[in-house]
Amino acid sequence: MSAHRPGLPAPTLSVLTDGYWKAAGEGRLALQRCGRCGAHRHPPTAACYRCQSLDWAWDDVVGTATVFTYTWVEHPVHPATVDYVPFNVAVVELDDTEGEPVRLATAILGVDRDALVVGLPVTVDFDPTGDGVALPVFRPSATGNR
Amino acid sequence: MSGDWLAGKAAIVGIGHTAFGRRGEFAERGTFAMACEAVVTACADAGIDPSDVDGWSSYSDDAAAANQLAMTFGAKRFRYAAMAWGGGGSGICGAFLNAAMAVATGQADCVVVSRSICQGEGGRFGQALAGVGGGGLPAPFSFSSPYGLMSPAQMFALAARRHMHRFGTTVDHFGEIAVNTRRMASTNPAARFREPMTMADHHASRPIADPLRLFDCCMESDVAAACVLTSVDRAADLRRPPARVASATMGGPYRYGEGLLAGHQMADDDFASAGQRTVADDLWGKSGIRPGDVDAAMIYDHFTPMVLMGLEDFGFCAKGEGGAFVADGHIRLDGSLPLNTSGGNLSEVYSHGMTHVIEAVRQLRGDAVNQVPDAEVVLVGGGTGTSPTSALLLTR
Repeated sequence: MSAHRPGLPAPTLSVLTDGYWKAAGEGRLALQRCGRCGAHRHPPTAACYRCQSLDWAWDDVVGTATVFTYTWVEHPVHPATVDYVPFNVAVVELDDTEGEPVRLATAILGVDRDALVVGLPVTVDFDPTGDGVALPVFRPSATGNR
Repeated sequence: MSGDWLAGKAAIVGIGHTAFGRRGEFAERGTFAMACEAVVTACADAGIDPSDVDGWSSYSDDAAAANQLAMTFGAKRFRYAAMAWGGGGSGICGAFLNAAMAVATGQADCVVVSRSICQGEGGRFGQALAGVGGGGLPAPFSFSSPYGLMSPAQMFALAARRHMHRFGTTVDHFGEIAVNTRRMASTNPAARFREPMTMADHHASRPIADPLRLFDCCMESDVAAACVLTSVDRAADLRRPPARVASATMGGPYRYGEGLLAGHQMADDDFASAGQRTVADDLWGKSGIRPGDVDAAMIYDHFTPMVLMGLEDFGFCAKGEGGAFVADGHIRLDGSLPLNTSGGNLSEVYSHGMTHVIEAVRQLRGDAVNQVPDAEVVLVGGGTGTSPTSALLLTR
């Protein structure tokens, strides 16, 4: 099952965000990291929330995470999702980032409805959408995280 | 009490609205004509000629523009126009704050707050999040919509689930809010949904985005509404008893960003919240009024869990105890905090909060359909889950 279901909108790339999507296209989960204090942040912003520096660079992170919350979408708001419901959308909190917790909206693939719970350890995977871009998605970790 | 500097300077002296239609019902009338009807109705209620309105205030990028309204009504002077930031109903109490400040500081004598929703003409809310409007996704939503996370119900379901996980909140707690709100609407002849609803009806309604069901979600409507504000001194000479602005605030928690619609970096306590902790703190702090002083509350009810979390944010109960608070009957008409007494977004009409303010005014005038005896202090909470949100305290 693909997370980027045909017909759903693709990400809009910008100067501020294209590094995130292109890294995913190369199989890496990269976050913005402050060039002064080292705090990671997401979604991309122009300045560091912690030290207000405008300097930043992309930084690969480990790619394990914990499910923070989730929903199972039952009502197909978008016409493209009529054939996909019910599907899940989750927010995960990434391991080993600097600064305040970094959370991503994503999909958890390969998980039964009863097995998707808050606190589930998950590991990143990548779901290509074309043009060298991929969506970071997650799967239950084989052995738990740490 | 110390009192907000703004207190006792401005009052709502007129209220008005169009008929309450289903989404798209008034497409042929259009946003602007509906706004004009609401303005005329509110001015008639106040006993003020629309040409004497010299200030205009709105929110949510309302399409009925201030300059067009002033021209349409032949305004003798056009002195003030303000737009509160924030989507949906989040900025509504900010629009009242802007209007009251204009009156209090002498920038204008008479300010109308208006909101007109005509989705047959103006497009359906939420569609931009689905990227079907052309031009690609708005940048923040590129991190959610490609996963199929693209409707407010889905986004608020994430906060509801987190609250359930942390505090043991249940779908019965959400259902109590839906059932109570319908009970209020059942005696309101103007309400769009008046048929009785039981907890079993709530649980049997179709699933939308787990844990939310249809009856956890508000309706969609075509409606316009307006309120007239002027100075408390001038209000004494007008037709209707004034509803005084005691305090109003707008803002949002640290790193709330796009709120629950596309941002997830706020503190955990603010994630599992309505995002109104800071506007509540400022409101109580500035006004000297306490939650226990409030006789009735109009808490924004686009989705039932956000009401429960709003009650916590405003300090009517402790964080995490919103479920027990509603289960104990506090929000019922005979409870300690009668809530959304005309039926709210869930059962009366979805006006982005204008009908919440109008109901607050009715409670203070003493002519509400579900009147709270001797109501003197009423709280209105703006739309939730986005930032800036806002809050308003009105007194008799």
